[in-house]
Amino acid sequence: MSETATPAKTEKKRAINRLKTVYPLRNVVQQDYVNTLQASSEGKPTVWSMLNYWEGDLPLKAMDLNIVYPENYATLLAASGAAEPFLDASDSDGFPTHMCGYGRSTIGYSYRMMKENGGKIPPDAPLGGMAKPALLLGSGIICDARFKWFQALARYFDAPEWCLEMPMMSTFEGTEPDLEEYQVKFLTKEVKDFISFLEKLLKKKMDWAKLEELIDLATKIHETTYRISEARKAIPGPMHSTDFWSSMPPALFFAGDMKISLNLYQDMLAEVQERVKNKESGINYPERYRLIFAELPPWHSLKIFDNLAEKGWNFVFESFGYHNTRPLDLSKISDPCEKLARFSRNFWFNVFPDAKKDGISNPVVETYLKIARGYKADGFFMHPLLSCRAASCSLRTVQHFEQENLNIPSLWVEGDIIDKRVFNPQEVLAKAEAFEQTMDHYRKVRKSKGLDW
Amino acid sequence: MVIATTKGLSRAHEIYADRGQRVRELRKAGKKIIGYICLYPPVEIISALGMVPFRVFGDMSEPITAADQVSTTVVCPFLRSIIDLGLKGKFNFLDGIVGAHTCDIGMTLVISWRDYVKDAPFTHLIDVPHTDHAPAVDYFEGQINSFKRHLEEFAGEKLTDDKLKKACELHNKQRKLVRELYDLRKSDPPLLTSMENIEVLVALFSLPVDEGNDLLEDVIKEIKGRSIKPPRKKARLLVWGPVFDNTSLYELIESADASVVVDDTCVGTRAFWADVKAPYNLHALAQRYLVDLKCPRTYRDTTHHELERNYDKDLDSRFDYIKRAVTDWHVNGAILQSVKYCDTHGYEVPNLRHYFDTLGIPSIYIEHDYSERSLAPIKTRIEAFLETLG
Amino acid sequence: MPGIDNQTSHLYFAGIDIGSTMSKAAVVDAEGRMLAYVVGQTGAQHRLRANKLMEDTLHKAGLPLSDIAYIISTGYGRVNVPFADKQVTELTCHAKGVAALFPDVKTAIDIGGQDAKVLKIKNGRLVDFLTNDKCAAGTGRFLEVAAETLGLELNEMGHISLQSDKPVKINSLCTIFAQQEIISRLSAGEALPDILAGVYIAIATRVVKLARQLKVEVPVVFTGGVAKNAGMVKAMQDVLGVPVLIPDEPLITGCLGAAILARDEAFKLVQRGEYQAHRDKKLTEARIDFGEKSR
Repeated sequence: MSETATPAKTEKKRAINRLKTVYPLRNVVQQDYVNTLQASSEGKPTVWSMLNYWEGDLPLKAMDLNIVYPENYATLLAASGAAEPFLDASDSDGFPTHMCGYGRSTIGYSYRMMKENGGKIPPDAPLGGMAKPALLLGSGIICDARFKWFQALARYFDAPEWCLEMPMMSTFEGTEPDLEEYQVKFLTKEVKDFISFLEKLLKKKMDWAKLEELIDLATKIHETTYRISEARKAIPGPMHSTDFWSSMPPALFFAGDMKISLNLYQDMLAEVQERVKNKESGINYPERYRLIFAELPPWHSLKIFDNLAEKGWNFVFESFGYHNTRPLDLSKISDPCEKLARFSRNFWFNVFPDAKKDGISNPVVETYLKIARGYKADGFFMHPLLSCRAASCSLRTVQHFEQENLNIPSLWVEGDIIDKRVFNPQEVLAKAEAFEQTMDHYRKVRKSKGLDW
Repeated sequence: MVIATTKGLSRAHEIYADRGQRVRELRKAGKKIIGYICLYPPVEIISALGMVPFRVFGDMSEPITAADQVSTTVVCPFLRSIIDLGLKGKFNFLDGIVGAHTCDIGMTLVISWRDYVKDAPFTHLIDVPHTDHAPAVDYFEGQINSFKRHLEEFAGEKLTDDKLKKACELHNKQRKLVRELYDLRKSDPPLLTSMENIEVLVALFSLPVDEGNDLLEDVIKEIKGRSIKPPRKKARLLVWGPVFDNTSLYELIESADASVVVDDTCVGTRAFWADVKAPYNLHALAQRYLVDLKCPRTYRDTTHHELERNYDKDLDSRFDYIKRAVTDWHVNGAILQSVKYCDTHGYEVPNLRHYFDTLGIPSIYIEHDYSERSLAPIKTRIEAFLETLG
Repeated sequence: MPGIDNQTSHLYFAGIDIGSTMSKAAVVDAEGRMLAYVVGQTGAQHRLRANKLMEDTLHKAGLPLSDIAYIISTGYGRVNVPFADKQVTELTCHAKGVAALFPDVKTAIDIGGQDAKVLKIKNGRLVDFLTNDKCAAGTGRFLEVAAETLGLELNEMGHISLQSDKPVKINSLCTIFAQQEIISRLSAGEALPDILAGVYIAIATRVVKLARQLKVEVPVVFTGGVAKNAGMVKAMQDVLGVPVLIPDEPLITGCLGAAILARDEAFKLVQRGEYQAHRDKKLTEARIDFGEKSR
């Protein structure tokens, strides 16, 4: 995730009021890359893992594996402007060009590593690159590409692969009375089988006590980040979206040492609460509009948020897919595999009962309606992506329901997560001017309908 | 039963041209018509409860004008076409629609149908696990059970073991007959063209299972008795890819001096290759649909628990059924086709082309946007590909 | 391939390539030597154009139509040549024509007015190919747009670009955005040669990307109208990293290949004893439309 500006020696005000506690959290990830490269050069096996909503992360950490997240690495490629050679390499190996930018980057990286550099890390890979994987951990949650592209990596690596399971469905069928129990039974079996596979692969037993400890730490981290999210409901919004994107990885995939991460998030909670007390904003300009960003950010062009902040646009919340929900109380569950199954399933299913009550069949829609109400949003910044269907396909319905149910308008800006050649910042700023008038109008409409923002 | 005025291939052609004609008649006579999207909803359950399963397709000749209200543009154009037609009321003869989480957009489509296309009072989305692991089969059985319960409520009757068994037998019979139909293309020249084949299959997806079986028996008899055979062509091709529900691509290929003799598509062998096995219960359905049906949307874990993954071995375990088709139908070229924005199939392409290389079968990959006008530029490429076959 | 003997040594063969912008025709003899060729604008009326083109080519070769044993049509408009004996795609014909001029060729890259093609050739035959026909970037159209934007003639641009040693990097994927980018570079004071060099590199990059999917093997032959342009050739070589061979007349490889294929087809008929039947049928039927004006 990129730095937006150098420390304030310039005359012009920095637009975004960065939290101090973002930097050490961001460093956790960067240090993690360095550590994994070091560890792999010392012969420790490296796992390439997909974002798996903690179902796989914790067993991997408990087995003391070296973990790299190619999806996250791809955002670094994009943010440092280094993605193109990798995207081109993927295209040149026959993969369709409309595929996920993260996938193209990873496939391109694998191709360049194995076919062009004899198994060594490509020299232009930022942050030292990713070590060659000894295991590939895919997951079907959120989107198909994620387990399909990992499957396709068999073209370059002999590493074994595992695919983690997670059900995804509509809220109506997803709230049937017996569903939770047989889903948990299913996921628990899968987690057990995954762990027995790891034991076979690494020729050592799972340290169950360590796994329990990590689940406990994970719960504490998520409790903390959940409280940070709640604190961000304040007016003015105390933490800008760009701060969140920079600091989320240690909670999203538990990068680095979890004890350290927990402390850093507790520091962040304190800083945010302090800001709330002092009514300090996440931007250095008066907050004129409160925006919600959906869904995946333009990693290659984060500067656009500085430009928008100068206009008083405070992005107060974002990207539901990157946030954990309030963690469950798992203390009564004795089987750690079942704990993991429930912990992970909770991300997707927690919103279902409310959605059913509200008559909303798409869980993403319900999630964003709650966010809009909770954060008193003036507008949505919808960013559908050329290469990511999963993160874009529901945006039209979210737009529709936000307008219908809450009279909140949306700004529609197309782009791509990795390929900066298809995003036009000038277009965004031009549209933003006009959109302010739309937001002003709907503020009046909401007031007339009795809503309090 | 209404007596059809035409039989065999003519009847198939008639139904292909106006898919809703028979189900509209049946609906007037009191039958309930349940539309389904993709191959994963178990049609046996629909038939067993006395309703008619009707497979929902898009329309390649209909410009997409309404879908943008509910869907982004960079998604599968086939599914976009379906929601477009739904919004325009073209499926108002359906009493219900059932879909499965076979792909991200497929799942979103059913949810959107529920929210925006209010015609059909019954909607259901079946979750399908991503892998074919044993616990996944059990989970899928639970999902099928959930669908069964919901449909029973709508039907106003319970599903009995006997009803389900009879339905499985009828649908298995259809699959067996379709395999017989495909056998007629093993010869040189094949006894029917791929255009005739797809018209028959699309007709089957538009009829109740027993009427479909009667149609198939007529068609097979008719073809076997034909005195004029289709011309012999040098190229014998296999077509692979997601749903292609129209004669247009096949016409394009066959007019370029090739025969399409077999396929791996879902308006094709994927629907008919595997039977439901005894004891014909929900678990047997789960097994057939999740494990025995071969589609790239399922992560077929053929190297489960193996500590090393050999590329060629992995491909062979996943695609050996294609190898058998190549041998049995004497295939000498393959056309891989897919719609733009299909992730499920797109990621398979380089690996599958490599597999065809190892089999010594030349292949070409074509991407289209599921519209008739997108096919014209493809003609030259197909012709050039056939020219390289020599 | 059957040898030339007294049955075939006096025969001639023709190929006609109706492209979207340019049409070309060629006549070859039994040994595959080209006797004459003609290049012209296609215009809207393919059928009339085909007739006129064939007439002119025959005139240049000094032959009547009745001496042509076999005619193959190719190109976008190949269906509109009723006097042709067979239609073959431009992909196969280009490969054949390039291999006739450069027998060792392994990769052929063709940039046309509206499309780009990469052909993989083994032992003189087309074995694999890729085309870009969806997008103007990476085709001659991109150059036309650039020329228009800069107020230059297409043929001037090459020489000017060669003066550059610091080409500008054009980032836009799309011809329309690239136009805007060119304008903003000009107003930012970038030198014209550098911008032009950048345009050529942008085209070369797009096409080489396509080529790399087939794994580029040398020797590489570069054809199409833009292959006459020194700036384009330099860009191709710089981006590919290998030298490219260019035929003296890069536009006619398609019709030359078609003519040679016509020769091959005729020889096959001779071998099968079917040639006389072919002659009798074709002379009376399909060629009546053409009229015997060439006599």
